[in-house]
Amino acid sequence: MNTKVQLLTIRSSLIAAAVAAALLAGCASTPVAPEGAAAARLKLTRLQSDPTLADRAPLAIHEATAAVVTAEQPEADQSLAQHRVYIADRMVDTARAAAETRLAEDQRVALAAQRESSRLDARTREANAAHYQAEVARADDAQQKLIANAATDQARTAIAQGEQQRLNAETARDQAADAQALGAEQKRDADSARADAATAAANAADAAALAAAGSARQAAELQRQIDLLQARPTDRGLVLTLGDVLFVSGRSELRAGSSDHLNKLVSFLNRYPERSAVIEGYTDSIGTEAYNQGLSQRRAESVRSYLIAQGVASARLEASGKGESNPVADNASSDGRQQNRRVEVIISKSEVALL
Amino acid sequence: MNLSYPFHRRTRLRVPLGIAGIVLVAACASTPPPTAKLQAAREAIAAAEQAQAGQYAPSELSEARMKIASANSAVQDQNMISAARLADESSTEANLATARTMDVKAQAVNAQMQQSNATLINEMQRSGGATP
Repeated sequence: MNTKVQLLTIRSSLIAAAVAAALLAGCASTPVAPEGAAAARLKLTRLQSDPTLADRAPLAIHEATAAVVTAEQPEADQSLAQHRVYIADRMVDTARAAAETRLAEDQRVALAAQRESSRLDARTREANAAHYQAEVARADDAQQKLIANAATDQARTAIAQGEQQRLNAETARDQAADAQALGAEQKRDADSARADAATAAANAADAAALAAAGSARQAAELQRQIDLLQARPTDRGLVLTLGDVLFVSGRSELRAGSSDHLNKLVSFLNRYPERSAVIEGYTDSIGTEAYNQGLSQRRAESVRSYLIAQGVASARLEASGKGESNPVADNASSDGRQQNRRVEVIISKSEVALL
Repeated sequence: MNLSYPFHRRTRLRVPLGIAGIVLVAACASTPPPTAKLQAAREAIAAAEQAQAGQYAPSELSEARMKIASANSAVQDQNMISAARLADESSTEANLATARTMDVKAQAVNAQMQQSNATLINEMQRSGGATP
């Protein structure tokens, strides 16, 4: 009886176990290779064998590898197997994305370095370009300075030439005038002198040509001497006015120590020995005309004597008294009268005309 | 003794059957919902959204959302095993969305830098052509 009951118990236990096993079998099928696990493994292998990515997301790749290993385990439960494959696949993708991100970040360092180097290069080029432009500007400036200097020189030369031509023209004109005067004088003396005058005029023309051809230095020197003399060029020649201070009132003797102006005249005449001079005395309107005429004549002679004494050839000097004629100022005022009391020395400008 | 036997026999049969039933239930479903996994999935999706995955990895993000919706449905259906797996899948998908977003952004930054460098070099060569 006891044995029978025990047997029954064993039997019922076996039945229960069989039922449980059957029910468990309903939840999981027979073990098969999980579908899709191989594809996940392939993706993982590709990631791990990429030298630019393999070392760049070690944790993510480690986790993905674990997920792939889990997915590869034989699993009877299809749903669980697919779940594991899904997880493994996404984790491999995630690991790849992480590695790529890291690679990009690493490349960024090189890109930034490249940019810095490019910028430095650009700055260097800019600096060089600026330097070059500055040099060009400097060269331009120097060139323009040279041009300006050249222009200034040309202007100076032009002015000098203009001055020289003016002097030449003046000289020529004076010579022509002198020649005319001489011609007129000769005409008074004799008709035959006309021919001489014509010759003289021709000579004057020649002289003008010669003078025009003369050097600028000579002209400049002449001008300097004329300036020293304080003579003014007129139609009659260079006119030098000696004031009445040369003489004591009413006397014709030259005052001592007043001959500075006369000495300049002497040196001028000595420097240009081919020039002749006419010394004319003038008085104011005070006193009789005859007296004034005599006084002016004497004073002119006095100057002539002085010049001769200083070594000027007497043939070059002519003295004449003009009296009250040709006043240069009004005789009504003492100031005007003082100006009218004078000796004028007219220096011929024509060297050739007197020859 | 005779009277007691059938009763005794019935009791002895019922205990193994009960055990088998418990084993069955334990094998096929865990009774409590996978709260932690669902929470993790929600957080992973939020992180992906924060990273602008909606712009840079929209398909991954929308799949993660679909997965968590399915997980919630499974909880409703008392299918807790399925709910836990779907929650895990949602988390993994959301993580992938975030990783791809980062990747795309990093590549965009690099591309921009490369273009900027190329422009700089280009300009340099142009201006360099004017300078002897």
